Amino acid sequence: MDRLKLIALWLIVGLPLAWGVAKTLQNALKLFA
Amino acid sequence: MGAPGFLDRDRTIAPPGYNRFLVPPAALAVHLSIGQAYAFSTFNLPLTKLIGLTQSAPDDWTLKQVGWTFSLAILFLGLSAALFGRWVERAGPRKAMAVAAVCFGSGFFVSALGISMHQIALLYLGYGVLGGCGLGIGYISPVSTLIKWFPDRPGMATGMAIMGFGGGALIAAPLSIALMDHFKSATSNGVAESFVVMGIIYILYMLFGAFTVRVPPDDWKPAGWLPALQAGKLITGANVHVDVAWRTRQFWLLWVVLCMNVTAGIGVLSQASPMIQEMFSGRVLPAAAAGFVGLLSLFNMGGRFVWASVSDYIGRKNTYLVFFMLGIALYATVPTIGHLGSTPLFVLAFGVILSMYGGGFATIPAYLRDIFGTMHVGAIHGRLLTAWAVAGVLGPMLVNYIREFQIDHGVPKAQAYSVTMYIMCVLLFLGLVCNLAVREVAPDRHHHD
Repeated sequence: MDRLKLIALWLIVGLPLAWGVAKTLQNALKLFA
Repeated sequence: MGAPGFLDRDRTIAPPGYNRFLVPPAALAVHLSIGQAYAFSTFNLPLTKLIGLTQSAPDDWTLKQVGWTFSLAILFLGLSAALFGRWVERAGPRKAMAVAAVCFGSGFFVSALGISMHQIALLYLGYGVLGGCGLGIGYISPVSTLIKWFPDRPGMATGMAIMGFGGGALIAAPLSIALMDHFKSATSNGVAESFVVMGIIYILYMLFGAFTVRVPPDDWKPAGWLPALQAGKLITGANVHVDVAWRTRQFWLLWVVLCMNVTAGIGVLSQASPMIQEMFSGRVLPAAAAGFVGLLSLFNMGGRFVWASVSDYIGRKNTYLVFFMLGIALYATVPTIGHLGSTPLFVLAFGVILSMYGGGFATIPAYLRDIFGTMHVGAIHGRLLTAWAVAGVLGPMLVNYIREFQIDHGVPKAQAYSVTMYIMCVLLFLGLVCNLAVREVAPDRHHHD
């Protein structure tokens, strides 16, 4: 139960952050295009 | 005395055997939300076209007027962190996070009202004052809790949360653009509606952090861990009261250390896009410059976690020593890199500089813990953040003023930043000297309960 809670909490903060990082990297690639 | 409310500190004490890694997501939820402030510039241009929609009408707000909103928010961040630091320590992280959520979220609502009524005072009051207070209280609310949960790795723990502040902009920038696109219509550019939705999202997300945060019992420590009192390594086992701490030499030395480190980074960050376009004229276009800004944000975010974690191994003083010495070397090299015309080297140099800018923010709470102890670290951190407010004005002003002065005196735009870089070296040298002067606090300043 504790492990599930741990995974759920980290996903709640990790997923939006991963989305933001991916979007930023997508934009950053234009620098070297 | 009645029963403690749900938000009170007593109701957040973790039960025995609680997994401490359940706590950082709560801190991250708050910092990822308030980190939106770094992406406020996404709204700058749309806010100047509220009446004209496609272009600014004569009655529309100017960019300068809109620009004050962010400055006010950072000013109130510093003021509220300094003023409410003691209250945050007393009230506990849950109540502080909840108050921060209400302030930050309602700041968006008041601003949305100001935008729909076209009253800039309401935008200043909403995002600048209310939102700024949410930023300050939210920023310091999880810091001492994390330090208490991770006495063996305080740098890593606070670095994780403060990394969220850097990461918040990476989420908020594309989110703001997507929301404005969604709400755009023939009569509105969608800014007010986007503010309402963002207010709701951030209140809920920050309240999620408030309701999941836990503080450790007073005598708690990680299994098998013994506090290592290493006087030679500037780690104290004693505590210094916040009212005493801010009167010590150490506090003001660290204030200058943070101020110089932030000034050097924030000036570049505020001018990153025009700087790379002017130094590599014709070779770096606006879209690529936006990519450069995004890349700097990634270094800023990553540096917060990496450098703060490294500081647990090499010590805080040595970490800042690296920031200042490497920073001086890199700033001194930038004009040469500009002459060589090497974009990858330029990006790498500023990437490392911005990683140290973020690292400076993330390492300072652990530095304060080492020098002043755990008891009032949140409140002391709050007062130290006034250095950020000063640097927020000083850094961009230096970069802008010197650039304009150079151009007015006939220096080509590509070379107009060279003097700025050397001035940054001087500021970093001042920070280096102050960092080297930091010593233990004298025992007569320690708090005896």
